[in-house]
Amino acid sequence: MNNPSLTGSKPFPTLSGHNMKRHLWLAAILLLQGTFAGADETEKAVVQILTAGQQPNWSTPWQFGSVRRSSGTGFVIKGRKIMTNAHVVSWARQILVKRPQDSRLYVAHVKYIGHDCDLALLEVEDSLFFEGIKPLEFGKLPKVRTTVVTYGYPAGGEQISFTRGVVSRIEMQTYAHIGNRSLLGVQTDAAINPGNSGGPVIQDGKVIGVAFQGIPGLENAGFFIPPPVIEHFLEDIDDKTYDGFPQAGIRFESLQNPAYRKKLKLPDNGLGARVDSLVEGMPAAKVLELDDVVLKVGDYPVGSDGTIIYGGNRLQLPMAIQEAQSGGQVPVTIWRNGEKIEALLPVESNKRDRRTGNQYDLPPRYYVYGGVVFTPLSFDYMRAIPSSSSTRNALVYELFYRRNEKPKTMRDEAIVVSRILQDRVNANLRIVSGSLVDKINGKKINKLEDVIAAFEKAEGQHHLIEFQKEGAFEVLDREEADKANKNIARMYGIPSDRRL
Amino acid sequence: MAFLPTGDFDMKKIIFALAAILLLAPGTQAAPPKWEQSLINVQATRKTYNPSRPWSRSSSTTVKTAMVIGKNQFLTTAEGLQDLSMLRVQKDGRGTWWDGKLKWVDYHANIAVVSAAEEEFSEGLVPVKMGNVDTSKKDWQILRWKSGNVEKRAAEFNQFLVQEGRLTFIQHLQLEASSEIDAVGWGEPLVSGGKVVAIATGQADNNIRFIPVKFFRKVLAARQAGKNRGLGYFPFVWSPVANPETYKFLKLDGEPRGAMVLEVPVIPRVKGRLKPKDIILEVDGFPIDNEGYYRDPDLGLIIMENLSTRGKLAGDVVKMKIWRDGKAINVNYPLPPIRYTDKLLPERTFDQEPEYLIVGGLMFQPLNVPLLRAFGGNWRTRAPFRLSKLASELPTKERKAMVALTVVIPDPYNLGYQNARWLPLDTINDQRISTIADIRAALKKPINGFHEVRFMKGSSTERMVLDADRERETTQRILRHYRIPAPSFFGTN
Repeated sequence: MNNPSLTGSKPFPTLSGHNMKRHLWLAAILLLQGTFAGADETEKAVVQILTAGQQPNWSTPWQFGSVRRSSGTGFVIKGRKIMTNAHVVSWARQILVKRPQDSRLYVAHVKYIGHDCDLALLEVEDSLFFEGIKPLEFGKLPKVRTTVVTYGYPAGGEQISFTRGVVSRIEMQTYAHIGNRSLLGVQTDAAINPGNSGGPVIQDGKVIGVAFQGIPGLENAGFFIPPPVIEHFLEDIDDKTYDGFPQAGIRFESLQNPAYRKKLKLPDNGLGARVDSLVEGMPAAKVLELDDVVLKVGDYPVGSDGTIIYGGNRLQLPMAIQEAQSGGQVPVTIWRNGEKIEALLPVESNKRDRRTGNQYDLPPRYYVYGGVVFTPLSFDYMRAIPSSSSTRNALVYELFYRRNEKPKTMRDEAIVVSRILQDRVNANLRIVSGSLVDKINGKKINKLEDVIAAFEKAEGQHHLIEFQKEGAFEVLDREEADKANKNIARMYGIPSDRRL
Repeated sequence: MAFLPTGDFDMKKIIFALAAILLLAPGTQAAPPKWEQSLINVQATRKTYNPSRPWSRSSSTTVKTAMVIGKNQFLTTAEGLQDLSMLRVQKDGRGTWWDGKLKWVDYHANIAVVSAAEEEFSEGLVPVKMGNVDTSKKDWQILRWKSGNVEKRAAEFNQFLVQEGRLTFIQHLQLEASSEIDAVGWGEPLVSGGKVVAIATGQADNNIRFIPVKFFRKVLAARQAGKNRGLGYFPFVWSPVANPETYKFLKLDGEPRGAMVLEVPVIPRVKGRLKPKDIILEVDGFPIDNEGYYRDPDLGLIIMENLSTRGKLAGDVVKMKIWRDGKAINVNYPLPPIRYTDKLLPERTFDQEPEYLIVGGLMFQPLNVPLLRAFGGNWRTRAPFRLSKLASELPTKERKAMVALTVVIPDPYNLGYQNARWLPLDTINDQRISTIADIRAALKKPINGFHEVRFMKGSSTERMVLDADRERETTQRILRHYRIPAPSFFGTN
């Protein structure tokens, strides 16, 4: 299967976009409009979101790219808020919202955003905006084969568009916006195109989903975020902060092998998933042990293939854990040493792996010294360097594999030299971009702050920068580097030597 | 006689005229060698293996060029002579193929000596003379048999270089020349002044790689004397030093000079070890510059790696002058022999049938680069990331080699494990596993009637359990069902 891609933001239409394809789209929209009587109230609550966004450059982290304009969809919910996708408003410098049949633009801002579940709530400064709009209500998780209608402002026109389809499949999906989380998702054959993102999916007059992504190359397949995920998001922000979906830090394996079941003295009844490994530092390690068998999570019996039945759908076990809020506990029944044990499994939102996914709204941290640019290794940084980079394999290992293979050697954040800003003081350094820093002046580098401290507290004639690869190192003359800093910042237009 | 393209009549006349002038010219001493009496064809048929079905066999045949170096002794490159199932030789470039045999091979040096089964084959054959490359000469020719004639194609010197060889991971001296000839690289001699000066090992476009006689002369001489120890090498990692501040930091005054030692692997263990941050100032009396080059009296400026094979064999001592802790010291550095097993994942497994072991449908195979090549030419990017990363790692004291579960042959016995593949093995029944033989030993010690299989931490599955009592019977059933001839092959047991 192809990786999912966001369907959300579409660039503002230009004259060059007025092609035959556009006219065909328009025809489809008119046809649906004509057959969809009595939808006025719902339609009024669906708004277009116009954003001007600016993303940082992860390899020159003090810089931001050009302003990119795009659009998506949102809908009004209770509490005078607009729900949309996080990816519609991420990195936005300005957010404008537009009501159907209204020529005015209203300024909005993000009140809450959940990048893991790709949802956001906006507030509009002008209270007139909500006049005459009845907030939409949420329905329940739809059944497969039932009909749904998407509302939105997809590419191909200016007016609101509706597409009808059926619920094709309900299962855990990778959420492309963050990239490293799988939550419940619903597949539909209703067309979901760029610009639809954040738009409501309606069944029986209620919102049963938020359109959010598609899979390139897969025809008639769009995805929407279902009510359990939306409700979890709304409940999470009850305390005014968003924590995110929790994890337990368990890697389950199926327990279908008769010998393994016999060894664990477990009856061959098709129940139970085995704890194959535990993620270091996550709370499950306090409660569970390797080869524990999880028989039940919450109210859900666990099958020997590691699935539960949820709303009539067979889903992966983490779905049961994700129902809890971060910091909560999930009751579990486990099988250990031939006995059933009841326990409470603590779960929490995992912040430790955020650099393995896409990051938003917080610009990259960096520190520049002697023209050497240090920044934390992240997935965003890796996307900014050429795929042919000689350091790529080392970075992939550091970012994605070390945590599981050698957790005790993990650093809080791995630091790379993202580039050298050429100057006389560093002209002879041969540091490849993307080199992982091990130590500076003998101090092990666990995070960016360590880099700064190591340089600022140094007293010798030289700074010694040691790298992870094969004992490589480089040396900087301390006095010369100190002197060069100001000039380098001026020459390269760096507003500050650091962002923490 | 040189092979000339048809329709090149004028050129023919000119060349014959030039040849006549040269023959008659004063100072002409020895008659030019009759290359047809010194070149033979070698037909090598070797077994090839399918890594995903290591019990299956196929074959591949290569025709190479060899040259006479003694009575019934023919020198060629080693490439294509691995896993031999049949070898034949042919003289005159046509006619009868005679049974032959591989007398000796050195894969790292990429040279081999073959012979005919019957000495009668050698009648009429004349040994070649060998000499060193003289880059000032313009008479370079590449020779081989073609349609019953010796094809001679002019070649032109491009460069000497020290790079990784065809069959070895060490960097050694090679010669690059350009020529219009196609499809060489199978032992064709490069001749000059009536002598063989190099042997062709590969070709890319019009650029042809050779191993110069200078590179392998000592290996060949040692072999003839029955004292060959094989080539040695520098197993440590070093780096050029472009930054003058580095020398200041290490208190080495004066002109920037010397290459920096970065990493010294645990295996192979070498007496007179170097240490990280040593600066290599001299090797065998040659000053090393900051880029790691020295000025060779014959080759000019060339990388210091050449000094590990320049007239040296494994066990020979290389004399180094090292800058360490602010002073110069002398180190006698005995060259360790090159072994493919010096890498965690051996790059070659020549002349060994692929090892495997099937246990209840779980197929275990030693992890090595030939196995990973099953992922295709670009296996480094196509193989599972963890495995290709292991290929660049060095063995440790604790783990000198790796074994992986490569596939699960489906059976009710291994139900639940059917999707597991390419998992590097850690232990079986609490015994650390580095070889297939280790597995066999571990299987003799089941734990409470089960075989407990543990994969390296971070694997998609870290633990499996098999019923030890039913394993043997199940394996036999699987072998019959899938028509697999044997449950295992152990090359070394």
